Amino acid sequence: METGRGRGDALNSMAEQPAISVAGLWQVFGFDAASAFRRAQAEGGSIAEIAERLKERGCIPAVRDACFDVAEGELFVIMGLSGSGKSTLLRGISRLVEPTAGHVSIEGEDMLAASKARMTELRRSRIGMVFQHFGLFPHMTVIDNVAFPLKVGGMGRSERHGKVRDIIEMVGLEGREGAYPRELSGGQRQRVGIARSLAGDCSVWFLDEPFSALDPLIRRQLQDEFLDIRARLNTTIVFITHDIAEALKLADRIAIMRDGEIVQIGTPADIVLHPVDDYVREFARDVVRGRHAKVGSIMRADDGRAANGGPGLRPDMTLEDALAACMAHHEPVPVYDDGGNLLGTVDPQELSSALTVDHA
Amino acid sequence: MKAFRELPFANPAGLSRGLIAALLTLFTGAACLLLQDAAPWLVRFPEAWTLPATELVGAGLDSFLSAIKPVMRAWSWLLSFPMSWANAVLVGSPWPLIIGAFTASGWYLGGFRMASLTFLGFGFVLLSGYWNESMNTLSLVSVSVPLAILAGGSLGILANEVPRIRAALLAALDAMQTIPTFAYLTPLLLLFGFGPVVGLVASAIYAAPPMARNVILGLERVDPEVKEASIMSGATRWQQLFLVEIPAASQQIMVGVNQCLMASLSMVIIAAVIGGFNDIGWEVLLTMRKAQFGQAFLAGLVIVTFAIVIDRLSGSLALERRRHSRRVTWGLFLAGAVAAALLALTGTNAAPEGVFSAAAVAVDDSLGAFTAAHGATLDGIKNSAMFYGLLPLRIGLDQAVLPFTWGFQWTPATSLWLFAITVLAAIALAVTGRQVAGAGLVIAVGVLETGIAELPWPFVIVGTMALAWLAQGLRLAILSAALLGIVLISGLWDRALLSLYLSGAAVVACVIAGGALGLLSAVSEIAWTIIRPVCDMLQTIPLFVFLIPTLMFFQIGEFSAFLAICAYAVVPMIRYTRHGLVSTPPEMLEAATSSGATAWQTMIDVRMPYAAPAILLGLNQTILYAFAMLVIAALIGTTGLGQLIYLALGQADVGLGVSAGAAMAILAFIADRLAQGFAEERRKALGL
Repeated sequence: METGRGRGDALNSMAEQPAISVAGLWQVFGFDAASAFRRAQAEGGSIAEIAERLKERGCIPAVRDACFDVAEGELFVIMGLSGSGKSTLLRGISRLVEPTAGHVSIEGEDMLAASKARMTELRRSRIGMVFQHFGLFPHMTVIDNVAFPLKVGGMGRSERHGKVRDIIEMVGLEGREGAYPRELSGGQRQRVGIARSLAGDCSVWFLDEPFSALDPLIRRQLQDEFLDIRARLNTTIVFITHDIAEALKLADRIAIMRDGEIVQIGTPADIVLHPVDDYVREFARDVVRGRHAKVGSIMRADDGRAANGGPGLRPDMTLEDALAACMAHHEPVPVYDDGGNLLGTVDPQELSSALTVDHA
Repeated sequence: MKAFRELPFANPAGLSRGLIAALLTLFTGAACLLLQDAAPWLVRFPEAWTLPATELVGAGLDSFLSAIKPVMRAWSWLLSFPMSWANAVLVGSPWPLIIGAFTASGWYLGGFRMASLTFLGFGFVLLSGYWNESMNTLSLVSVSVPLAILAGGSLGILANEVPRIRAALLAALDAMQTIPTFAYLTPLLLLFGFGPVVGLVASAIYAAPPMARNVILGLERVDPEVKEASIMSGATRWQQLFLVEIPAASQQIMVGVNQCLMASLSMVIIAAVIGGFNDIGWEVLLTMRKAQFGQAFLAGLVIVTFAIVIDRLSGSLALERRRHSRRVTWGLFLAGAVAAALLALTGTNAAPEGVFSAAAVAVDDSLGAFTAAHGATLDGIKNSAMFYGLLPLRIGLDQAVLPFTWGFQWTPATSLWLFAITVLAAIALAVTGRQVAGAGLVIAVGVLETGIAELPWPFVIVGTMALAWLAQGLRLAILSAALLGIVLISGLWDRALLSLYLSGAAVVACVIAGGALGLLSAVSEIAWTIIRPVCDMLQTIPLFVFLIPTLMFFQIGEFSAFLAICAYAVVPMIRYTRHGLVSTPPEMLEAATSSGATAWQTMIDVRMPYAAPAILLGLNQTILYAFAMLVIAALIGTTGLGQLIYLALGQADVGLGVSAGAAMAILAFIADRLAQGFAEERRKALGL
């Protein structure tokens, strides 16, 4: 579960200036959306009321008043069902679409005030993005795809090819540099997408459902590799997914979206143990809580009943691991048949390890 | 009362839209028939009411054209340079070098198959004795195509970059393709004077729209994530366009190049009508005029060979990703060069005399013998088609049925009997719940009795409006009425109805024949393997060539024109019908089979309704093809707008040419929107 950077580090640096700051972001689609939004907002009321008014005017409020900060080096996951506005939110932050209203700053720079030329420059040097369906250029080889951000930045051919070799190696594509996207498998294509987004040495990394189009085994493999890469690079990450298991596995913090609104932001344990409403609870329902909640979250003050020694629990242990440790303290227990005859014994430690996920 | 207010078009009787439209048309038609003695203006639009539109248009255009004439003449002068260069290269180079170069490119693009096709094709051209003429044509194409690609490509990119002008540009492209090709030859003639430049410019104008269309389509279809990825990589708009979007759309753009080449070739040959250039199209026209059909046929075969080789070469440029050995390519090219050098040493540099010209003479003679021997049979075919099919459609049963042909005289009493029987049948249909079919039957019989060329104008306009209302709604209905109104007051109405009659007859024939062939190809794989190459070839052949065989057997006249139109326009009907029928989703067929439907029931109840939108689109294409061919067919005798356009070309009468061309484009436009509207409506009904 734990990644190279501790969750605590990320949360501590929240006190400093956040790497990404989003405030009051609205994304409204439709005819003359900007002025429709201004009028709807001028009439006041809650977010839901403004959204309702926009809908009456034939506009679609895809993102409604999104507010969040992402700390430097944090892995921030935005989760929601399809149509909840999560991809649109990301496109607003990266200005692939122009937000209707609100504020976005990345590393202190006001993104919405940046000129076109400045945006181009930022995208070449500071922001990388990975797409759900990879977005590879069909007419370029792997190495040309990966080196594209450097090419448009004006770097010479041999220099940029030299520079991206390390990245290609890091994503495990060495030897396939000359292949075209159509000759690669889905997993390999997304490796190219990841490598390309890293070619510009970005410090802010956007990933839009990067693993959703892959089959489950490849997805897990790429998730693990993604965590490895993340541990090596000091990037701030916004990661979009519709898969709660993926969100819980990867995230430092998770924002849950519904109908364009962020309904809860919290650590994986918060989401699982303290869902703010039924919608979030419904997501967390299938999750094995013991795998995400920590001992600290259920610990009470000592009332003198605890035995000395014990299995050596720590507050940052998952409940699952804690249970296994406690079980190791018990004696083997008997197993009977329907007639009450003793058949054999079960060792509680083996019982718990049979239930726990293999960490290897 | 409340319900009435909510639905302005509904009525208490609950008539369907289709029935309202049919009844409205029926009443207009009946009123015109009944009142024709009291108010003859209801049937035939009085000449006094028309405006001298052709003169007005002519005067306006003349002053405009003479204003821009100096600029265009300068252009013409500029264009003459690349043309003379291309001509010098293609005509001046020894033939083995040219054959070697084309065979080499054939190898590079498509391997052995393509190389041998190219070699055999060019070999045939050489042996036909039309080498120099062919090279003249090719040099025109080789200048007009880059022009068209440049113009079409820039228009396409412009439409992509400036979304605001996109709709207008697409409409203009539509218009450019519906306006008959001959129509804009006349103004070009005035601008550029007689000579090959007119053909060059005309073919560039004609070939640019498919290029523009494919560029627009290709750029539009680039995966949005690919576009976003190039933005997020920090590419400027210029870089996005030229490094990512255009290369990513290259396959579609190459399809555009292929269509551009074919259109240009077709138009270069048509432009031979104005003469002034010793090319292969001129050769066909000349031999046709001299009634040397063997030679015309040979020259036509040369054009077909060219078309096929160019089509397949550029097609594999678009569709094949694989490229073949460069070494063999260079080898073939060198072989050509060596052969050229050897020929030069032996001093026989010129292209050989045609070895097929004797064969052409023989074909001509045997054709003469054949037509002499079977003249009666051929005349029989022609006359029965004319007397029992085309003529009644044109002037109506009341005038076409004569004792001399049908064996009895049509009298008003016969008309009454016919109408009485029809009305009874219609009532029977209405009672069994098919009111629309009943009303349609009465309308159809009415049209047949009157003849398309003699239809009262209010009936045509109201009928078109009713169809337009059904197809798309009130807006199209008003637009069609306004456009038809323009044709009416411009005095071209009679000619327009004649065009409508001939193309209508051809479309009906195509629907029947094409539908049947399409059905056959859908059912039998063997039939499709035979029909498919024929369709491919018919679509590759330049329009002009269709005239040759019909002329060979049936001489000049409406029937030959009819056959030529059918031969060209039947292809989309076959293709779309088959495509619609075979693309039924397999699970739908399995569901039908497991419900216990026989193959025939599946065809009628599942596959045909599912294929309806595709078949309607095929009908749409067939109509447009028929209109395009109608004007070309004017060369061998039609009487409608096509003839006017052709006459205008001869007299350099810009006003007449452009107005008749516009009238033709209006007919094509309305027919196109109607068919597309119905196809769209069907698609929506099926939830596709």
